[in-house]
Amino acid sequence: MSGVRAVRISIESACEKQVQEVGLDGTETYLQPLSMSQNLARLAQRIDFSQGSGSEEEEAAGADGDAQDWAGAGSSADQDDEEGLVKFQPSLWPWDSVRNNLRSALTEMCVLYDVLSIVRDKKFMTLDPVSQDALPPKQNPQTLQLISKKKSLAGAAQILLKGAERLAKSVTENQENKLQRDFNSELLRLRQHWKLRKVGDKILGDLSYRSAGSLFPHHGTFEVIKNTDIDLDKKIPEDYCPLDVQIPSDLEGSAYIKVSIQKQAPDIGDLGTVNLFKRPLPKSKPGSPHWQTKLEAAQNVLLCKEIFAQLSREAVQIKSQIPHIVVKNQIISQPFPSLQLSISLCHSSNDKKSQKSATEKQSPEDHLYVLEHNLHLLIREFHKQTLSSIMMPHPASAPFGHKRMRLSGPQAFDKNEINSIQSSEGLLEKIIKQAKHIFLRSRTAATIDSLASRIEDPQIQAHWSNINDVYESSVKVLITSQGYEQICKSIQLQLNIGVEQIRVVHRDGRVITLSHQEQELQDFLLSQMSQHQVHAVQQLAKVMGWQVLSFSNHVGLGPIESIGNASAITVASPNGDYAISVRNGPESGSKIMVQFPRNQCKDIPKSDVLQDSKWNHLRGPFKEVQWNKMEGRNFVYKMELLMSALSPCLL
Amino acid sequence: MGVTCVSQMPVAEGKSVQQTVELLTRKLEMLGAEKQGTFCVDCETYHTAASTLGSQGQAGKLMYVMHNSEYPLSCFALFENGPCLAADTNFDVLMVKLKGFFQSAKASKIETRGTRYQYCDFLVKVGTVTMGPSARGISVEVEYGPCVVASDCWSLLLEFLQSFLGSHTPGAPAVFGNRHDAVYSPADTMVQYMELFNKIRKQQQVPVAGIR
Repeated sequence: MSGVRAVRISIESACEKQVQEVGLDGTETYLQPLSMSQNLARLAQRIDFSQGSGSEEEEAAGADGDAQDWAGAGSSADQDDEEGLVKFQPSLWPWDSVRNNLRSALTEMCVLYDVLSIVRDKKFMTLDPVSQDALPPKQNPQTLQLISKKKSLAGAAQILLKGAERLAKSVTENQENKLQRDFNSELLRLRQHWKLRKVGDKILGDLSYRSAGSLFPHHGTFEVIKNTDIDLDKKIPEDYCPLDVQIPSDLEGSAYIKVSIQKQAPDIGDLGTVNLFKRPLPKSKPGSPHWQTKLEAAQNVLLCKEIFAQLSREAVQIKSQIPHIVVKNQIISQPFPSLQLSISLCHSSNDKKSQKSATEKQSPEDHLYVLEHNLHLLIREFHKQTLSSIMMPHPASAPFGHKRMRLSGPQAFDKNEINSIQSSEGLLEKIIKQAKHIFLRSRTAATIDSLASRIEDPQIQAHWSNINDVYESSVKVLITSQGYEQICKSIQLQLNIGVEQIRVVHRDGRVITLSHQEQELQDFLLSQMSQHQVHAVQQLAKVMGWQVLSFSNHVGLGPIESIGNASAITVASPNGDYAISVRNGPESGSKIMVQFPRNQCKDIPKSDVLQDSKWNHLRGPFKEVQWNKMEGRNFVYKMELLMSALSPCLL
Repeated sequence: MGVTCVSQMPVAEGKSVQQTVELLTRKLEMLGAEKQGTFCVDCETYHTAASTLGSQGQAGKLMYVMHNSEYPLSCFALFENGPCLAADTNFDVLMVKLKGFFQSAKASKIETRGTRYQYCDFLVKVGTVTMGPSARGISVEVEYGPCVVASDCWSLLLEFLQSFLGSHTPGAPAVFGNRHDAVYSPADTMVQYMELFNKIRKQQQVPVAGIR
């Protein structure tokens, strides 16, 4: 049969992939080659099992063709050739292997046939559609992809996590480093303002004023603490500072020296219980770190303690007529009778309890801030003095002591000068003197003010000097009449207020010394005011052209005044017809008399002696003027009106 | 610090030095002067050591080292007609060290001691000048505190001196004329004392030498 057919064998190119489509640009789109199982499935679908089993030959040929197909493109045309040859010359030995192969193939085909026939009966075997089996191989790559994707994603995630971890680590490290750096820079800043030293592994600082000359035995050390162990995760508070200071517990809180002057002595039971009313802590300057304010407050407490210690030591040592009393945190002294000066140390710690009690018992503000300030100045002066006495460099041959003392020998200072250098007045004595002065000054001001408001007619003006010494101040007192300031300038008093007394310098150079009693000053001013009125009349007379007949500041006649003396003046009108006599006393007030010409008095009995009419020009008796019924706003104005009324009309 | 005049008061006839001093102080107390402790001015003489003298054979100058209780921290060193040095009291120690150059004249210490009186602005010191154990004369020092220019207050001083010295009022001290209108200094007082001491020394030396 094969010998009959002239078989033309076409050789196809081994195009593994079928071209599905050729694009317009010549690109070919390939179909994926079928896999082995797909091929088998395809082939199996082609089999028409319904055809009955044909001849062996047919079967073989079909199988052959099938096998050819099944072998795929891999089997060459030679195989076909050989097949043909094998069939044609079966006994040829060299083709034995081919025959064997064919036999085995036949066997397999037979098995397959059997299987198929059995399957066909569907009794013992069934065939599921093969096409369904094609699905699992399709799913597999998806799962595989999924797994691989998962894996690679996991890998990437791990890398990212690692990186993140490293980043976080470096961030925290950075922060720690920054804190450390901050601590060092803060320490540097602290070092610029405060004395620090290292003791062991601690950093100690010095709060005391020892380097400034203080001899106070308090050690005044503070400790510098590194404040870096805060929780980095939490938000860092705004006022966080890596450096903190620990101050001794007795220097905590705030303190000040309270100086007050009270009029009457309190009960002895009240002594030493000065209210510790709290002053608000000074606000820290915006730029300065919080340790600065803390240290400054502590240093202030230390200074206040030193001042108080010094004062109480002096209070005990100094012998005075009325001994100074030191009770608890208070020093009481009596500068003037029925007047007491109390200096107290108020130290309030920061705990709530004291704050609460402080707000409840708010004491009246009788605090003399000036004296408190001066106490601070004095203690600093004291420091400076101790410092300068030991100050180097110092001439090797000179005696120790401060510079002025050293120079007093070569400059031949006499005893008085040396005494003035050596003034060893204590803090307490000085502050008492200052308190006395302040009190005397305020009392003088009050006296003058009360007089000025009480008495209207002669006006009192007080001109206080702005600048004054701690122990002396001065005030100029002018007594004037309203509207006549220019002509009535006779009374100008300069009051020099000292520590114990007031020196009054009169315009004409008289010096009067008054004691601290306010009554003295008041009486003096009253007598000056009464004199002023008479002086004013004198000045007015000059202006009006009247003649001064007599003038006396201190009249020895008439009722005796309890304060000072009455003064009197008599003035005559320009033509001599009238005379006005004024007597003015500080207590009795003014009395004004007018003398008329004799001819104007009708009620004078005719005298036997003065017969001639020319005697009528003599002045007659005095008549008192009802002064309070006179018109005019003040004494001098009334006097001017009276004078002008009595002056002859010149026209 | 003011202007000072130092003068010598002759011993009254028929009276001892002590009695004359008492007379004066009583007068002062009558005036109303206030007694204020005592005073002391001393003077020691040094001459330059022979070894330091020049080869020309120039005479050694005398140096006077003086103390005044009015200036308690000072020590004055003066040459006759020469400069006056005011130093602190350590100068005495220095003089001991300078033994090679200045030698202390033996028994040359002369001093005046007495009472200090304050009469308003005037400071009066009446003292007995002693040299060794014997009283040699009376010194009267009057200081007027408020003024520092000698020529401005000399007449005032003179008037005051006349009020209690009477006829023994001295003329203007030589130091006043040295510098016209110049500020008076403590050294001028010491110069006056030095001159006074020299005068007294010379007065007394003649009879003393005669006795020897």
